[in-house]
Amino acid sequence: MTTRADPAAHDAVILCYCTMLTVAELRRACASGRWPLQGKENTGKLCTGCLGDLLLCLREFGGRNVE
Amino acid sequence: MSNSLSALLSATFHEPGYEHLVELVHQRDPAGRRRLTSLDLSVFDADGKLLHEHPVETGVETLDLGALLAPIAGQHGRVMAVFDARYDDIAFPYRPHHYAYLHRKGSATPALYYAVSAALGGVPDRLGNVSRLNNFDTYVFRGGPHATQYSVMLGNLGRFASAEAQVFTYYGAARVERTVALAPRAHAEVALAPEHGGQRLTRVETKSLFRLASYVVGRRKPSGDLILFDHLFTFFK
Repeated sequence: MTTRADPAAHDAVILCYCTMLTVAELRRACASGRWPLQGKENTGKLCTGCLGDLLLCLREFGGRNVE
Repeated sequence: MSNSLSALLSATFHEPGYEHLVELVHQRDPAGRRRLTSLDLSVFDADGKLLHEHPVETGVETLDLGALLAPIAGQHGRVMAVFDARYDDIAFPYRPHHYAYLHRKGSATPALYYAVSAALGGVPDRLGNVSRLNNFDTYVFRGGPHATQYSVMLGNLGRFASAEAQVFTYYGAARVERTVALAPRAHAEVALAPEHGGQRLTRVETKSLFRLASYVVGRRKPSGDLILFDHLFTFFK
């Protein structure tokens, strides 16, 4: 996967439309070692449409991968 | 009204020369029509470049997408129209559905009515154990009375990540594979050869790591008029 935009510059963007996780929430959770956030564990696993963005953001933000 | 909103991102493709009316909320109930909380339309060219953004008044029952996009599609050809809907999950316990009417202007070809492809959201967290990594969609072709050119249209609704999709076409026992790479918000129409090794096209299958906006398309020869514009069917493997 590649990126053309810096995800950190898009904090307000809803990353997962199923769990309503925003880029900012993911970035902060990764920075503080709290990913996955309680209640957001299914991010990327429901409709799966955001999975590419999620994996890329986790890599960018230094969070651990999804399972 | 509940305290939190849910979101759904749906997408369709628009080409110049078509009437294209989108029913913003398909669901009705005895009390009347349900309304979205907000709806924003954005439009992208084949490379994923943003061409247009437009907030849609949710009181509008049917959006004339063809009229709205006529100047843009006239310049760019096929564009991807993305609908970002926010809704109260009390009003829509599962998710809202957009449906659309599509007809080439001046053509005697019958109009098409289809469900707009929902690609991001709409799966409640309570269904958390339905996880399916790898998306397979399929469509079975029946021999029709008209000469038809088939294709699939694929759109990547990712904001940051590119996507790769495999398109498998089946001709009797033979399978032909093609890989399509899509930048964020980019889209493509993949033509399907009508025959291979003397066998006619019987089925198409698409596979991707995550859900894409996808449609199976049939065009009447030689006019190119759309006679099929529909979603593929998802199955689990």
